[in-house]
Amino acid sequence: MNADPHESTSRKFAAILERSENGTSEDVLQEAYELGRWAWGQGMGVVQITILQYESLAAALERVPTREMTGQVVRNAALLSAECFSVFEMAMRGFQESNAALTEMNRKLEAANRDLDSFSYSVSHDLRTPLRAIDGFTRAILEEHGDKLDGEARHLFDRVRAATQRMGQLIDDLLGLSRITRSPLRRETTDVTALARRILADLAEADRGRQVEARVAEGLVTNADPRLLTAAFENLLGNAWKFTKKQTQASIEVGKEQRDDGDVFFVRDNGAGFEMEYAAKLFSPFQRLHSDAEFPGTGIGLATVNRIIQRHGGSIWAEAARGRGATFFFTLGAGS
Amino acid sequence: MKSEQAILLVEDNDDDAELTARAFKSARLDNLLVRVRDGVEALDYLLGKNDFAGRDVSDLPAVVLLDLNLPRLDGFTVLKTIRADERIKHLPVVILTSSDEDKDRLAAYDHGANSYVQKPVDYDRFVGAARDLGLYWLVLNRPAPPRPD
Repeated sequence: MNADPHESTSRKFAAILERSENGTSEDVLQEAYELGRWAWGQGMGVVQITILQYESLAAALERVPTREMTGQVVRNAALLSAECFSVFEMAMRGFQESNAALTEMNRKLEAANRDLDSFSYSVSHDLRTPLRAIDGFTRAILEEHGDKLDGEARHLFDRVRAATQRMGQLIDDLLGLSRITRSPLRRETTDVTALARRILADLAEADRGRQVEARVAEGLVTNADPRLLTAAFENLLGNAWKFTKKQTQASIEVGKEQRDDGDVFFVRDNGAGFEMEYAAKLFSPFQRLHSDAEFPGTGIGLATVNRIIQRHGGSIWAEAARGRGATFFFTLGAGS
Repeated sequence: MKSEQAILLVEDNDDDAELTARAFKSARLDNLLVRVRDGVEALDYLLGKNDFAGRDVSDLPAVVLLDLNLPRLDGFTVLKTIRADERIKHLPVVILTSSDEDKDRLAAYDHGANSYVQKPVDYDRFVGAARDLGLYWLVLNRPAPPRPD
């Protein structure tokens, strides 16, 4: 039963109209009415049925010579109209019910968002405060009683401080991820070339010792949320910057490939890369493919990028080889 | 006009209060740091009530460092109350808090905060922030003069 029900029903109505040339208008009305009810039972859209019924009603009435406009005909026409309207009413009720369901779902989502808000709030205040105390008082010990400590003890305290820094960074990244999930998506035309160049310039500014050859294709444009897209590129380019730090001739490239189903953006580097067999872990939070000692990180960055891409209705994937760099490809959904 | 103006710190957490005091000391800003534990005490101090009855209320602090996460009266209510009171409404108030949430920042400025500073987790940066805050509000900024009668 793959035929489009609308089409076949339309053909049936057309057939009825043709026969009305010869048959009485009453039969036409009756047949149109019954066909409408049948189509409704078949699940055709009420708008389609109603339009078809009205069309056939109007056509049928046009064909009725005035002298044959008997009470019966008029009554049947009225019945058909009433039937159409009651179908409309049923549909309206249906729409209203699904509206109510949607409103209820919206309410629940808003409640969940509020819960997330207060969770973030909690994390912001309640986790950061004791962390600050650990860092601060450790520092105070080192500053004010450092002379009583030997090198080993001072080193141990340094490790405490390093751990608190790391936890502070994790909190920031987690909050960032949560914020990305909650913020509304507002698409606008965004100059991706300018965006990528700006981020690369910032990276270079903050890390002046490094020479990185960066190439960004001209004229890259898309329709996406600029704040979220900025966050995504900051992560991807930041990673490329980080993972090429051991290359003597580091290079990063940003561009676009035209594929059958749309544009695919990419960020490519010639850095440390990774083994493709672990690629599935790439976009999960906290999962890392390199040790923290080799390349520092919290493992949230790509999870954040993934969330941003998903919110745009796009997809992201990577191709890489260990020691031969990585390319991250992504699309930004139908709206781009 | 007193040359030695106080800094009023409204902070319920003892660790943060001590770290802030140490940070200001490290930053060599030995101005009188007055610490109160919540918004009620802060308003008592500013208006010379209850435990602070008899305090010279014309001697206003150079700046109020206000945490948001306070018991009894929350930070925003304190700020609103300050801004609504003719005697103290021009007092510089800097929100000094752990949170960097958009809604907190927006609410802070909606309620009339002069500035919003996030308390860094890193203590060295905390000291730096204290020094910058102190230098700006105690040295560079000029507070509102008393209103002519």
